[in-house]
Amino acid sequence: MSSDSRASSIFPRTDWAELGPAAVADTARLDRLIRLYWAPLRIFLLASFPSLKDQADVLLQEFAEDKMLKAGWLQRADQQRGHFRDFLKISLRHFVLDRLSRADVKHAPVSLDEMEVEPSGPEETAEAFDLTWVRTVLAETLRRMEADCKDPSAEQPRRGRIWEMFRIRLLEPLFNGAPQVPYEQLIETFGLKSPTDASNMLLSGKRIFKTHLSRVIKEYAGQDAATAEEIRALEEFVARLARKMP
Amino acid sequence: MTEFDCSGTLFKSPPKSLAAFLAAGEERARLWRPEELGAIFRHQMSAPILVDLGGFDPATAARLKMISNAQNLLLKSFLDLLFHPSPPIELLTMAKDFAKGNMEHPDSALPNEVAAALYYASIAAAYVRLDRRITQLGDAELKRGLEWAKGQPWLEPQIARLFEEALQKLAQAGSNP
Repeated sequence: MSSDSRASSIFPRTDWAELGPAAVADTARLDRLIRLYWAPLRIFLLASFPSLKDQADVLLQEFAEDKMLKAGWLQRADQQRGHFRDFLKISLRHFVLDRLSRADVKHAPVSLDEMEVEPSGPEETAEAFDLTWVRTVLAETLRRMEADCKDPSAEQPRRGRIWEMFRIRLLEPLFNGAPQVPYEQLIETFGLKSPTDASNMLLSGKRIFKTHLSRVIKEYAGQDAATAEEIRALEEFVARLARKMP
Repeated sequence: MTEFDCSGTLFKSPPKSLAAFLAAGEERARLWRPEELGAIFRHQMSAPILVDLGGFDPATAARLKMISNAQNLLLKSFLDLLFHPSPPIELLTMAKDFAKGNMEHPDSALPNEVAAALYYASIAAAYVRLDRRITQLGDAELKRGLEWAKGQPWLEPQIARLFEEALQKLAQAGSNP
């Protein structure tokens, strides 16, 4: 980790010089993961403990530093690969309850029951977390895919057009409600020689997307099997949620 | 080139859009909508033969180039091939095999309906123009296929006529064995 990134790390109190190389690598990985998944963690915290709204960022910061950075947390999380999301949720919940419990004993201004209000129920809270998680994963995947496709140093200049086709054909209509671009217009825009050319371009886009999706998930899920299982789990979760809230 | 705001867009999107996106991202998901089949078929008909059939092995590709350029035949597209008064049988067979390969391949780049229409069009052209059967399909099976192809609403009228001619010829052959 460079000194710049250390300075902007979410572990500002960490003395990097005291950490061994393995711990530095683990911490850097944690730093990346928490930074990326900050939004779902925050949503889960607020949904579980709405009265802690003003302290959410401080609590998350402390959770990251005092809990996750503790020796063994990442190893325990790694043993739960494929369930990293659940492990994170449970850890955060326990951490906040523990903090509240201590505060309760010290000051007792509000009871624990009052603090941990779940107006929408635990299932909805978990769903809000998982939905934000999916959005974060997909946004990161698409961000990396776009950067990869537009990389000027890449040896395949065609990749820029693949991203454009993917964007016009899939992303804009699905997410921004853009009208479908007629096939004839696609031919003109991309100079397509035949339908197989068009389909291959779109299939290539899907493959590049899949590759990046696997990479993003593998960073927290671990092995290939756990990654594949996590992709399936996210797909099933979103499909179930779509049926429930069309 | 327009920018796509990944985070902003994704964080506003409802579960339905996310689910549709993940389903569409599957390789086996339909690439094209049914109403686009006509445009795709027209594009296939006007596509240079060498682009698609050029994917065969190098020796076949070289032979293909030689045949399509031979005797000043202007066989630049599939449409040229199907409507040439005396199309090279070898080229029609290759077009049929190309279409069949796309019909049978689960990850085919061509929509199945378009590949099937090209498949029967190649057979029909050989039968009508050269009086040759380049398929092992029996009469009943061939008739069913030609009728299916002729009935596709997105088909160009001239291709539908080719199927009609093949069906008439098949009926005559059946009545005059």
